[in-house]
Amino acid sequence: MENPAIILWIPIILLSVASILKLLKKGDPNGQPWIRIEKVEENE
Amino acid sequence: MSNHLALRSGNPALQSSTFRNHLSSTSDGAMTLSGTVNKTALSLILVILSAGYSWTNPAMHGLVVPAAIIGFVLALVTIFKPTLGHITVPAYALAQGVFLGVISMIFNAKYPGIVVQAVFLTFGTLGALLLAYMSGLIKATENFKLGIVAATGGIAILYFINFVMGFFGSGISVISSNDTMGILFSGVVVVIAALNLVLDFDFIEEGAEMGAPKYMEWYGAFGLLVTLIWLYLEILRLLAKLSSRR
Repeated sequence: MENPAIILWIPIILLSVASILKLLKKGDPNGQPWIRIEKVEENE
Repeated sequence: MSNHLALRSGNPALQSSTFRNHLSSTSDGAMTLSGTVNKTALSLILVILSAGYSWTNPAMHGLVVPAAIIGFVLALVTIFKPTLGHITVPAYALAQGVFLGVISMIFNAKYPGIVVQAVFLTFGTLGALLLAYMSGLIKATENFKLGIVAATGGIAILYFINFVMGFFGSGISVISSNDTMGILFSGVVVVIAALNLVLDFDFIEEGAEMGAPKYMEWYGAFGLLVTLIWLYLEILRLLAKLSSRR
């Protein structure tokens, strides 16, 4: 490979994009959380 | 507070009892996030200036070992006497800058361009993890902290064994070899070093929330600086291994 540093940029870019998407989703009032820990009611 | 999970870090400078030991001694204001960010930025500027100076001045090259030893002593003083952080942390940054400047020059002479790539990757990693932390994508949960602390401890033990073996003309080959296992090992170490940044962010945020004394801003900056320097050196090593296979 010509420039090995390119491989190392891939996870940095992916992480940044995922974080930006998460931030955008936070701003959306209809957005659902990614992970739900609390108990879900039967008729919910 | 006892069950707050934020007070554990893989960074030897950021131990669980650090804030608790200093909470009662507040005299001149409390630790803030912006204050810690400013002190971290100032420390990084000192590292970069010092590194640039030692790189370009051959007279400084003989000071690499003394600079490393002085840096180590200053780190210990900062850990055991955080109230002196306003003196020891800038001095630590200058000493580490001399060390990093010479090391970087040696790597760059062998693999031209590698240092610029390592610097950009280090700050890129810092930015990406800060964004991930702020967005809540990565959270410093109890299990996360346990995992990072354990992994960091494991790496520290391995490096120490390698250091001792060096006196007998031997060493752990995976640390320095450029074969697939050596590159995988370096990749894992880079990931662990990067994830230590999350623990540092958490430590600083928690210190500000708990109203730690003002001098702890220097301590938080020091913790972040230690992790960033480690991350930079590991990225440099990984890039050197990858470049040597070309």
